[in-house]
Amino acid sequence: MHAYLTSTGLISPQRTFENDFSCGLETEGAPILPAIEPNYKGLINPVQLRRMSRILKLGLGAAQLCINNAGGQQPDAIIVGTGLACVNDLEIFLKSIIETGEQSLSSIPFINSLHNTVAAQVARTLKIQTYNNTHCHRGASFENALLDALMLLHEKEHQQVLVGGIDEFSTHYYNLLTPKVVTGEGAGFFLLSNAPAGKNSVKISAVRTFYAPEENFIARFLAEQHTPAHHLDAVLLGINGNPGDDAVYCRLMDSFFPPSCQLITYKHLCGEYHTSSAFGLALAAHSIAAGAFPAPAIFKPGKAAKPQKVLLYNHYQNCNHTLILIEKFAAES
Amino acid sequence: MEKTALVEQLKAQIIEALLLEDLTPGDIDPAAPLFVEGLGLDSIDALELILLLEKQYGIRVEDPKERRDALQSVNAMADYILSHEKSEG
Repeated sequence: MHAYLTSTGLISPQRTFENDFSCGLETEGAPILPAIEPNYKGLINPVQLRRMSRILKLGLGAAQLCINNAGGQQPDAIIVGTGLACVNDLEIFLKSIIETGEQSLSSIPFINSLHNTVAAQVARTLKIQTYNNTHCHRGASFENALLDALMLLHEKEHQQVLVGGIDEFSTHYYNLLTPKVVTGEGAGFFLLSNAPAGKNSVKISAVRTFYAPEENFIARFLAEQHTPAHHLDAVLLGINGNPGDDAVYCRLMDSFFPPSCQLITYKHLCGEYHTSSAFGLALAAHSIAAGAFPAPAIFKPGKAAKPQKVLLYNHYQNCNHTLILIEKFAAES
Repeated sequence: MEKTALVEQLKAQIIEALLLEDLTPGDIDPAAPLFVEGLGLDSIDALELILLLEKQYGIRVEDPKERRDALQSVNAMADYILSHEKSEG
């Protein structure tokens, strides 16, 4: 199963909403990286905007950016991956239930509090009344949404699928868990198609999720894709600054990925959140198209002049491990 | 409360309850329809206005026709609140 990337729309702690993937914004030392948001008035109908919570603006804004970048092409299906979904609105709603003794509840926080709210609002705005789904699987939420999209395209019932990964910062969640990493947030949407968008495009060749996998799962995955590790031009690793999490990546850097392979890190640019691999995928896709990764993302340079075959490897608390194989697709003329 | 003061109070409360951040009380014509025309409100806003009457003024509007009349405009809301106060008082 594979898909071709038609366009992306990313709102993140970098200025990616302007399609600027230079990732030049200084993030060092900040415990929280908030998303840099566009002026939504140019993207979202002001009548709709007024009732939207922040995560809805992030999601709908990124989806609309993606559609705009695709020249207005409409998807046949909408799929979203999110770890915490509209958790801030859910808190408001639950608090009001307690405060009012389950009486006289305002409808707006309820509407905004559901896990599928973002996907539903995107569908409502784009007037897409077909397949609509939201996946919530902790650190593998975005990859599960991607898998769902790939399966839809594989079945050929849908030609174009809009798939996104979205999570926003939650003060309550942050205070409860006091994470040992830089916390981030973001919304990334991708228009995937079962046909390449042009002569040069980016292909998502494979997506796989693993729960507490065996030692050699990456080697097995690459073998299934007929891609030995030395064929990879770059590997994006979800290094997040937590020594416990990063030890998993460090072992692979030392023993598995060959010296010729460029090593890229991205969570110091976008922060850690359940669907941060959506940032990683957008960064990989833009870098393949541009012919180079931005300097702030390069952990160790490699041999390839231009990255063509890239692996994105992420794990969440060493339980949910995910792999996405991305490559440049050039049509034979 | 005088009707003029009540109308001004309602305008501020409507802006807050319906998240009409771009509006000031001066932008709202108290005689203009609240729904479709005028402020262009919708059915979700209607629920919020009913809640506003209940929370701020202790008025529960059960009858659908009465509800429709009471939410015609800001003036109509003020008249409804005042008439309710009279009948209660």
